[in-house]
Amino acid sequence: MALTPTVEEQGSAPELEVRNLVKRFTAQSVVGPLSFGVAAGEFVSLLGPSGCGKTTTLRCIAGFEVPTEGSILLNGLAIEGQPPNRRNIGLVFQNYALFPHLTIFENVAFGLRLRRVGDAQLRQRVGHALELVGLPHLAARYPRQLSGGQQQRIAIARCVVLEPRILLFDEPLSNLDLKLRLAMRRELRELQRRLGKTAVYVTHDQGEALALSDRIVVMSNGRIEQIGSPQEIYERPANAFVADFIGSSNLLDATVVGTDGAATIINAAGLTLRAGVVGHTAGARILAMVRPERIRVAGTDAAAGDNTLNARIREATYLGQDLHLTLRLDGGQELSVVTQGSAARRLVPGEEVVLTVAAADIFLLPK
Amino acid sequence: MSPAPPRQRPYWTALVLPLALYLIVFLVIPFIHIIVLSFYTYSPTRIWTPELTIANYVGLADASFLTVLLRTLRLGLVSTLICVLFGYPLAYFLARAERRVALIGLFFLVMPLMVSAVIRTFGWLVILGRNGLVNGAITALGLERLPLLYNETAVVIGLANVFVPFMVLPLMASIERINPALEEAARNLGASWLATFRRVILPLSRPGLISGCLLVYSAAISAFVVPMLMGGARVRVIGRQIYDQLLISYQWPNASAIAALLVIATTSLAFFVLALMRRSARQEPDA
Repeated sequence: MALTPTVEEQGSAPELEVRNLVKRFTAQSVVGPLSFGVAAGEFVSLLGPSGCGKTTTLRCIAGFEVPTEGSILLNGLAIEGQPPNRRNIGLVFQNYALFPHLTIFENVAFGLRLRRVGDAQLRQRVGHALELVGLPHLAARYPRQLSGGQQQRIAIARCVVLEPRILLFDEPLSNLDLKLRLAMRRELRELQRRLGKTAVYVTHDQGEALALSDRIVVMSNGRIEQIGSPQEIYERPANAFVADFIGSSNLLDATVVGTDGAATIINAAGLTLRAGVVGHTAGARILAMVRPERIRVAGTDAAAGDNTLNARIREATYLGQDLHLTLRLDGGQELSVVTQGSAARRLVPGEEVVLTVAAADIFLLPK
Repeated sequence: MSPAPPRQRPYWTALVLPLALYLIVFLVIPFIHIIVLSFYTYSPTRIWTPELTIANYVGLADASFLTVLLRTLRLGLVSTLICVLFGYPLAYFLARAERRVALIGLFFLVMPLMVSAVIRTFGWLVILGRNGLVNGAITALGLERLPLLYNETAVVIGLANVFVPFMVLPLMASIERINPALEEAARNLGASWLATFRRVILPLSRPGLISGCLLVYSAAISAFVVPMLMGGARVRVIGRQIYDQLLISYQWPNASAIAALLVIATTSLAFFVLALMRRSARQEPDA
């Protein structure tokens, strides 16, 4: 029986470890070196724009690509030399990859038949897997008779029925429409928790990564930009790429002027601002980052120590719940601001407003 | 709702007319003529007289003809199997190769069809002859010469060489339509290469395999030039039999009966197989 791993065990040896993985396609196209670990039961997303190497990394783990260098360890054993059919790692494909010539039952039974599982046990396990994804009534159908969401659930059942050591997902929701995507996202996370399976999930959709993951590996150009929990990635991005890719952000070129003990004084485009971090040397050229929703318009509620900025509204887009504003600062920079649509009084282009930003909401990133 | 328009043939139906006309004049009418002739009576002086008889068919049930018939069918079967064996890997490679490589491969594949049958066959004579390339290599190794010409082996080599494109082209078209992710899914679920082929590629490329087999088989059992040049006098096949009856013995009614038998055998085989395919396609639901 599998015991719940203790914190100590989780901390000491990850279930899956990617160590200095390099995949070289051509001299220009290189992924890695990459290193990261996934603890037992953890849900880790590889997030990045297309071509960042996330799918290549996943394919190396599944065994469809052979790494040029480095190793992949599963429970401490190197698996990078094993053929994909020996790894017992489940993979859910973007286009589901259900076998069109087999019924749903036979699709789910595919791996069990290869393992020569007896008839009675096979029936029971397939039935159980179909119930797990809520589609036991579709066993006799063919894949093309199913909707995209149903096909995706069958693809998951087909993996889970084999009790794989870990589960891999290659953008599994990207072919579904928005509403279904959100529903499947919840279902997927719930299922993964229930099974307690370690999961690696590849996506270019930051919302998906934030909603599903215990930890996110942000990648670009074949490199890891940051590894952290969704909160860490969003609230404390390591660099300008992460800040820009996760959520939206305003980035301003800035120079460190000095410090007043609790905050760093910076100069950004002629404005003097206080950022709630310390440890930057005067004269350093950096980037100042502010999330659009952290900027308040018409600062009647300005607290002591907040930054105030004068700006003119250039564009206002009403989106029901939110109001998206594009503003121009006195110095000429543009800022995006998101405020609540209902609470905001009528804000129209051309209007002069005062913005307030708490010092703690300005992050300083290396340039 | 407006009333449904009256059923009408689409205007482009007329596009098939030129070919249909050509086939009627040069294939259907001559074939009907052959059928009629096969029921006429042989006459040593006038070749045939229009007196109806079934003697031409009854006469086919003799041992020497049945030997020829069985040999022809056997050669067709073996050639088809060899085309499957060589054709599948090649079709798979061409279907999965990048476009440029696939085009070059296709060019080499259909090249045998661009060379005249006689020239191609003489090429084989040079390679397989008593002092040809193969036997030259074998004797250089100090081994016994192999009889590679004027036997059934030679005919099978020749037939497989010409007809392998007929196997590869439909197979390749079928394999191209199989999503490569399905193969990866099978591998991921624990299938070896062989199991992936047997459980995914083979069933999904079956229509191409069946068309390829039909094409190769019907072409192989009606072949004439290759068996004559590479099989010699000993490997007599139906094509040769018809030729001899027609042009050497002037037994036109008898030759017609053999020809009619051959055509009926191949077309009924094709109909049977296609009907089977349609039935298995019906079992699967519509898209």
